[in-house]
Amino acid sequence: MKQFVNIVADPIYSFPITCVLYYYMLKYYKFFGSKKFAWTVTLIAIPVFLIMMADPNFYLIITWPDNIPITILIVAVSFFTWYSIHKAAINDTRQEEGEVPVEATPENREKVWCWPNLVYTEMFAIIAGTVFLIVWAIVFKAPLEEPANPTWAPNPAKAPWYFLGLQEMLVYFDPWMAGVVLPGVIVVGLIAIPYIDTNPKGNGYFCFNDRKFAISSFLFGWLVLWLYLIIVGTFLRGPNWTFYGPFEYWDFHKVVAEYNVNLSEFLWIKFLGTAMPSNILVREALGIVLSLGYMFGLPPLLAKTSFFKELISKIGMIRYYITIVLFLLMFSLPIKMVLRWAFSLKYIVALPEWELNL
Amino acid sequence: MSKKHEPGMAYDMKKLNVVFAFLSVLFLAVVVWVFLDDYIRPWKFVQLEAMKIKQEKLKEKLDEVKGEVNQDKLNNLKKELAAAREIVESRRQEIAEVKKEIDKVGVKLKGETIINGQLNSKVSALAFNYGVAHSKHASNAGDLFQQLRKNKALFAESKDRMKLYQSQQKSLNKKVEALRKEEINASKKIKDMTSTMNLVQKAIDSNSVSPVFVLRNLPFIDFLDPTLNIKQVVLDNITDDRYFQHVKKVDRCMTCHTFIDQPGYEDQPNPHKTHPKLDLMVGAKSHHPMKSYGCTSCHGGEGHRVNDFNAAAHIPQNDEQKKEWEKKYHWHEPHKVAHPMFKLQNTEAGCVKCHNNVEFIPQATALNEGRKLIEQYGCYGCHKIEGWTEEKRMPGPSLHKVSSKITKEFFKNWVWDPKTFNAHANMPSFFAQDNNSKKEFMIKNIAEVNAMAEVIWEKSKPYRPLAKYQGGNKEKGKELIKSVGCMSCHGVEGYEKESELVGAYAGPYLTGTGSKVDPDWLVSWLIKPDHYQEDTIMPSFRLTNKEANDIAAYLLSLKNKKFEKLRFSSMDKNARDEILLTYFSAFDTMEVAKNRLSKMSDRERTIELGHRSIGKYGCFSCHNIDGFEGRAPIGPELTKFGSKPLTQFGFGHEHDVEHSRSGWTKAHLLNPKRWDRGADKPFKDLLRMPNFYMTEEEAEAITVALLGQVGDYVPLKGVKRLNAREKFVNDGMKVINKYNCIGCHQVDGWRGDLTKMLDEDYHSGPPWLVKQGQRVQADWFHHFLDNVYPIRPWLEVRMPSYNLTNEEKNKIVAMFQHKASQDTFENLVDVVKWNPGEREAAKKLFAEYECATCHTSGFNNDEAQAPNLYLAKRRLRPSWTHDWLKNPQSFLPYTTMPNFWEDGEAQNSEILGGDVDKQVQALVKYIYEIGSDDLPNELTRYWSKN
Repeated sequence: MKQFVNIVADPIYSFPITCVLYYYMLKYYKFFGSKKFAWTVTLIAIPVFLIMMADPNFYLIITWPDNIPITILIVAVSFFTWYSIHKAAINDTRQEEGEVPVEATPENREKVWCWPNLVYTEMFAIIAGTVFLIVWAIVFKAPLEEPANPTWAPNPAKAPWYFLGLQEMLVYFDPWMAGVVLPGVIVVGLIAIPYIDTNPKGNGYFCFNDRKFAISSFLFGWLVLWLYLIIVGTFLRGPNWTFYGPFEYWDFHKVVAEYNVNLSEFLWIKFLGTAMPSNILVREALGIVLSLGYMFGLPPLLAKTSFFKELISKIGMIRYYITIVLFLLMFSLPIKMVLRWAFSLKYIVALPEWELNL
Repeated sequence: MSKKHEPGMAYDMKKLNVVFAFLSVLFLAVVVWVFLDDYIRPWKFVQLEAMKIKQEKLKEKLDEVKGEVNQDKLNNLKKELAAAREIVESRRQEIAEVKKEIDKVGVKLKGETIINGQLNSKVSALAFNYGVAHSKHASNAGDLFQQLRKNKALFAESKDRMKLYQSQQKSLNKKVEALRKEEINASKKIKDMTSTMNLVQKAIDSNSVSPVFVLRNLPFIDFLDPTLNIKQVVLDNITDDRYFQHVKKVDRCMTCHTFIDQPGYEDQPNPHKTHPKLDLMVGAKSHHPMKSYGCTSCHGGEGHRVNDFNAAAHIPQNDEQKKEWEKKYHWHEPHKVAHPMFKLQNTEAGCVKCHNNVEFIPQATALNEGRKLIEQYGCYGCHKIEGWTEEKRMPGPSLHKVSSKITKEFFKNWVWDPKTFNAHANMPSFFAQDNNSKKEFMIKNIAEVNAMAEVIWEKSKPYRPLAKYQGGNKEKGKELIKSVGCMSCHGVEGYEKESELVGAYAGPYLTGTGSKVDPDWLVSWLIKPDHYQEDTIMPSFRLTNKEANDIAAYLLSLKNKKFEKLRFSSMDKNARDEILLTYFSAFDTMEVAKNRLSKMSDRERTIELGHRSIGKYGCFSCHNIDGFEGRAPIGPELTKFGSKPLTQFGFGHEHDVEHSRSGWTKAHLLNPKRWDRGADKPFKDLLRMPNFYMTEEEAEAITVALLGQVGDYVPLKGVKRLNAREKFVNDGMKVINKYNCIGCHQVDGWRGDLTKMLDEDYHSGPPWLVKQGQRVQADWFHHFLDNVYPIRPWLEVRMPSYNLTNEEKNKIVAMFQHKASQDTFENLVDVVKWNPGEREAAKKLFAEYECATCHTSGFNNDEAQAPNLYLAKRRLRPSWTHDWLKNPQSFLPYTTMPNFWEDGEAQNSEILGGDVDKQVQALVKYIYEIGSDDLPNELTRYWSKN
């Protein structure tokens, strides 16, 4: 069983599984949002977690002071995701039955004083949060390490937990992409959301039906592409950034078979059987064309599909293009991951001469 | 948000207040917790414990001191004091009157002191003003001068009055004292008696938990002047490498190891124990005081960390202690510490960091043993260890002429497994090991051994022994082996017990010799070893032909029948070709390799493989082989082995090996092939380090020596730098270690292996060399090393004749000379100058002490039991002879030479007035007068014929 979990936890399997689970979560969101489901999962999860803790390797990883926030994060995010979907499911059911959402009922539209209802309770939260942080700091001492030694870096060298998703992206992309462009796009994209999203529905109440596209694409980026990667980076990446299953001993000398090939090498050497052209732009032509096509050719084509036609009619052409570019950039990560696993693809565009690899 | 609430309110205010109150209390509790968490430190409890221990010790001391005080006497004194007080009381009136007068004088004196002070300052100011006015020719200069003079006069008068009052006061005080004389005397006596006791009591008080102690160590105010605090030393000479810069080493170990530098706590458990070698380490008067060397400079570990037991990177010495610590301190392996503490038994490794480049480190027993073993097994042949192995000889014998010594068959069987022939062999086993005993590998190894034999035999030069074996008396030979001194370098079959006692290793253990060597070769080797191998360290014992034949007869009678019957398998030519193809195809395709092979004849192929195999297994690292001169050693350098990061050690799949440098090293030494387990390796990649079949103890000792080889940078002023004398000594020690002089002679306490089999009858063995440099004259010594003659007629063991270069001889002579802090030459007089009556006295003493009874040579025809005195002049230094005569046992406790001036007193007080030094001096002069500069003929002949 442990062996099986160790194998399945590898991103090659766990990423598709996560995607499928994500799909089903949204498809059957009303079931997912039910209290029955929540209780069942919680009651199953607790003993399972305890059994897993009995494994020395898993125990070591979970109790490593660096990793405790991630455990807290998993519990907290699971709860809040479930909570929002739970509320959304109730409201959607009400709306289907012709009623207004719970938040729109007259008793819930009553107004209350800011003081003390808000400010006082906020102070409670501040005090409680401070107490929590202090107790945490006392019980789990900050894991100080040895003085930095340039000739003996820690292995694995890990980023702070909130950047581990970015670090995990480095497995698939060059630093300029994983460390500069994609994080930049994430920030810009988050800023842009209020300007793109003109859908008036869903303001002030939980819902899913009214904002299917917005919610599912955001949650995909947040849960699957961000949190999932943090979890992988925290618990499942060991020395040399090699993958280790949750029950696997972090053997320093573990070796993984990995030999990656560029798209241009696939084209010229394997497919055409000729030498690589000396002109680097010709050499990488296919990758460049595909990339440009993906970024600039795909949006107009997609605009012709009925789903996006409807979207364009709602938000207009400019908002559509901004949305679709952000959307495509987000999807470049899973696409690259799948290509890597399926074809050992190293770079789509390999221009080390310009330090521009994609 | 139910309707129960007031309008505009979502919550019940009362409830909110309750929550707020609860949170506030919780927050307060947490804040207190923060301070307590910061305040409660493990080391404080240790220091409290130390206080208790110290108090107990002081109480013991107090009891002891109290016991020394005579209570009766004390009581008497107290009575005396009471009586004295009564007497003084009767004079109360008188005393009161005098005291009144003292007060009066005191008032006057105080008043005068003020006046005097004012005048003094006035004079100074006037002197300055006058000076300025005078230099500027101001008009008021005259006035100022007058004033200055006047005030000076007043000042002098005042001073005079002061002196008067002072003397009055003094005499009055004396008067009071005289009136209270009895009382003062009695209390002084009591104080004298009880002062130590009071001091100890005071110490106890200052070490107890008093209110002041509590106040000083209270939380929040304990930053002011705490008594419980972190103790530390900051070292100027030694740094810690913090990677981007070196910082002064800071050790805080003494925070918990409270009495480490104070004698008297040896009986305490750790951490309160006194350092076990206080005279060498830590102690303020030792060579390595704590203030200059700290703790972790030697022990390793993180000396500046005191958060808890684990922070310092303590390492348990064994599993038992590990379990104990895990229970007691929640011990765990240190994370990411480059140099955790050495295990207790490995501590001596810490010496090497500063004491590099020396042959012998006094008191570092385990380390010296490890280095001795590195020499014995010849580790330095394959692994360079900078600092002390550069000048060492090849660990194995030369193979230049080996074909005339042994047979090819013997060679192959020996190389395959030396231990089946000689269980004590230092030559390690390469084959039929953990990683190469698969049949496929064995066949290839057999091919390699066959090929190597071919190469060695082809290169072997012809050799004609200088003598023929004529047969001999093996019983006599056996006796000779023991008596002449062979066993200082060789263990010998038939003398198992003695061999074990001596533990010789410089030469091979002699067993099965009859199945090994050519008889003629053996005789000629015994007679003149350098005839066969020029650079051998085996010396000539100046054996006669008969003696050599007797010894040979015994050695040849030692047979190993089982080994003789072994027939080495012949070479599988396919295997040979296959190995060659792997070599050839390293950089070429298989086709090119095959082509190359096909052009070679059968013989060429064998030779090629043999040549490559000798290179592969590094035979040339230990044996001189033609054509391999100057090749680099095949093993990795070990100079900085102790600093190699743990992650760079290949533990393979051996998870039961302790995950530490020492764990790996020991496991590696016990079985170097183990790391190949579970690895599917091709023949060419198998680990090559051979198996020495060491014992656990040996592996442990070598581990200590290797762990010490660290790359730590030690600032120049921290390293031990040899001074001019020490440098000479060290150079010489290298030579005497190379030639194994210490196999026979104990040199100022170092080794003397052969004497271990004498049952403490040291007199019958090679003499100890104690202060040898003060004993013998440098030029005699230098000459003697090449021209050995017997000095001690009663000895059977022989000082052999070595093949030393002049440089080596000089180094030996200089070493002894500097070891004894001697000048090169002593001033000798040609003609002894006598004081009146001295010569007669000397002769009288010589007769009275019957010197000629033992030192018979030249005096009578009895058998000599002591060295020839006629030869002493040329050999001994007068100053040493003087010291020796006065107390021979202080040099050699075992000597039969009597001490004629026991306890520094002359037996005959009539001769030279009974003055010891004069008597000794007279005898020394006498010995130098009768002495001869030339050797008698029979001794000259002794060495010239050999």
